[in-house]
Amino acid sequence: MLDFVIKRFLQVIVVVFLALTVVFFLIRLAGDPTTLFLPPDAPREQIEEYRELLGYNRPLYVQYGDFMYNAIQGDFGESLRSQEDALGIVLDRLPATFQLAITSLILALFIAIPLGVLSAYKRNTVFDRIGVGLTVVGQAVPSFWLGLILIFLFAAQLQLLPSGGGGTPVHMILPTLTLAAYSVARFTRFTRSAMLDVLQKDYIRTAKASGVPTMRLIMRYALRNSLIPIITLVALDLGVLLGGAVITEAVFSWPGVGRLLWQSLMNRDFPIVLAGVFIIALIYAIINFVADILYAYVNPQIRVK
Amino acid sequence: MRKYVVILMAIGLLIVMSACTEGTAGDDNGSAGNNGGEKDSLVIGFEADAATLIANSDVNYTTDTQIRNIYDPLIERGPDGGLVPVLAEDWENIDEYTWRLTLKEGVEFHNGAEFNAESVKFSIDYILDEANNSAYRSRWVNVEKVTAVSDYEVEIKTSEPFPSLLDRITEDLLIMEPGYVQDVGLDQAAKEPVGTGPYKFVEWSRDNYLKLEAFDDHWRGEPSIKNVEFRYMPEFSSRMAAFLSGEIDLFKNVPVDSVEEIENTENAKIEQVDSSRINYLALNTFHDGPLQDVKVRQAINYAVNVDELLKTILNGYGTKMTGPLAEINSGYVETDEYEYDPEKAVELIEEAGYDPESMNLSLDTPNGRYPMDSYVAQGIAAQLSEIGIEVDVQVNEWGNHLDRIQNREMGDMFILGWGPAFTPQSTIENLFTEVAPYSSFYDPEIEQKIMETNAIFNEEERLQGYAELQHELVEQAAWVPLWQQADLYAVRGDLNFTPRVDEKFQVYEMSWE
Repeated sequence: MLDFVIKRFLQVIVVVFLALTVVFFLIRLAGDPTTLFLPPDAPREQIEEYRELLGYNRPLYVQYGDFMYNAIQGDFGESLRSQEDALGIVLDRLPATFQLAITSLILALFIAIPLGVLSAYKRNTVFDRIGVGLTVVGQAVPSFWLGLILIFLFAAQLQLLPSGGGGTPVHMILPTLTLAAYSVARFTRFTRSAMLDVLQKDYIRTAKASGVPTMRLIMRYALRNSLIPIITLVALDLGVLLGGAVITEAVFSWPGVGRLLWQSLMNRDFPIVLAGVFIIALIYAIINFVADILYAYVNPQIRVK
Repeated sequence: MRKYVVILMAIGLLIVMSACTEGTAGDDNGSAGNNGGEKDSLVIGFEADAATLIANSDVNYTTDTQIRNIYDPLIERGPDGGLVPVLAEDWENIDEYTWRLTLKEGVEFHNGAEFNAESVKFSIDYILDEANNSAYRSRWVNVEKVTAVSDYEVEIKTSEPFPSLLDRITEDLLIMEPGYVQDVGLDQAAKEPVGTGPYKFVEWSRDNYLKLEAFDDHWRGEPSIKNVEFRYMPEFSSRMAAFLSGEIDLFKNVPVDSVEEIENTENAKIEQVDSSRINYLALNTFHDGPLQDVKVRQAINYAVNVDELLKTILNGYGTKMTGPLAEINSGYVETDEYEYDPEKAVELIEEAGYDPESMNLSLDTPNGRYPMDSYVAQGIAAQLSEIGIEVDVQVNEWGNHLDRIQNREMGDMFILGWGPAFTPQSTIENLFTEVAPYSSFYDPEIEQKIMETNAIFNEEERLQGYAELQHELVEQAAWVPLWQQADLYAVRGDLNFTPRVDEKFQVYEMSWE
């Protein structure tokens, strides 16, 4: 087991390292950031001077080596825009992103699991049609569109909820709904198919035949056994929710990591982009690491492999 | 199972509760505060957070607009673009290298410290100190020494004649409190600023909001609006929704196609001003090609129908320009105009030895940086295709667009804006010399003349020089001038707000009816 844990942990490091490397070179394809940070009438010498000060005039591989050397020590440099510690800025925004991701996840589970169970149990009835229909719509609707429609309806027309901004629980309702929509669709679909699988098993038929009450049959016998793959999916989705809330955060002016990354990318504030990618990759890899360990704990076959 | 559900719900509740941390609790400002009784709060929907709250560091409009409510300048620009005293009462030129400013007495900073010559010296020295890495420094390098001659007199020595010093003071310089900055350090002063401005700092939540409250001891008197919030909303559609629902009272840059919707909304109006920001079509003469021929450049000027673009694409929101400067610039003179005349355009191209039917030009444009920019580019391409010129329009991400201009990688033509521009020098020098690529037009004779004109110390003669330059640049068809942007603001119906030509939000000037 220890071997397995160490091996998986090394994978976490490799994943984060690769993510940082790829992003480092990708953002450089767009050029260096100096022109965006100086006034347009800055003379060429000052641009050169600034480039030198920030080290952007050095060969790319030297910059990369330097960046990695510092990054390993937790130093991602200072934001070009505000001249504050880049990692600190990202960590400041993390709680807001977590709030949104976790509430969305919980909301999604509360809607998706009953819906999935119902669709499966009442297969080919109107309930099933509604459930399947919702999943198709949920996965097809882009989050920026859904976000804007919700804002238009609940903020602009009905004036019930704030259109954006961070702060009170009320501010969370619309972005949470928007972010949860996609997960609801995925979880429902998955729960439904997992349940369908299990419901056809012999032991369910046996249980049914021996007169186990329906509720108990679903909850105890069927749902519990279909939950294992769903847990994996939840772990994966949490990663997606944490990293993929960029658009939702921008539409709802939510002060989280996604929006910070998006704006920093537009401003070419590279230290923040890299610190942000580091944090998201790390969280994603750790969540998967934990899921793997849990899975291995539950299922010894995996450990042996 | 029930047990798990309860635990899950408890976790959910806990997370939601944790959202109500200090700082966010009691967030009942904004429209809520405005509904009951007398209105004294204002919420501005603003596109981006400030980079820092310390003065004299970041040149970006987003930072400057916000902190100008906290800090005062020495001089500001009046509605006609002229210089108006603020913390400086008077200024004079002692000789070509020396300026003396007399300061207002009895002005206090928010922390009670007194404003005097030392604060001015401190603020300028802050820009000049390389360690502070101020983006303004390049504009101030000619300043050699700042001396506090007496408590309320400052002398500025320059290393060479620096006729535009007053413009620099007006556009760049904001006054900081030296004692405070030294006490708490730069990092802290950048987070909790102290100035002499009409509003005191209250709270800054990154990417979320900046809250200010009225400084009742302000030297101009108590501000009418007591609480101000800049709420950061990067998406236009979010600003629009927040405005329609009454969460915000004011925002800038309404797209021309949304004007009608706001005008049809209850208790809402559109305010408009001709911006000092100009949009133009640059004709690149840096590398070989037909555009190096003045006749081809003139032909393009004849072939582009600016009135039609304004009318059909911008719904009329914009003011047509004919020369290098807009009317709002000091030193503007009326120049000849290239009226729309496609036949003449064809003639000129043929005279230059080209066949318009086989001419192929590239046109780069940013997307969303200026009003309808990429649509304007497509409109221009369509107009040029009417005389046979084939135009490839390329839409660039803004940073990339700017990079390509700076690195001189642009093709034949590109769309760009310039501003806020008030003085002839800042536009002409930065647009039509070899070292500045923003119009990518270069002519050695014109460049020589620009340099000579900039150095003329006598203002009248200098303006005369700029007047001649304007005529020459039009004759050379250095670019295709398009228009002054119209700045469009969505404003709550009962808010007294007059838009400023410098695009700033000076809350002190606003009030509720």
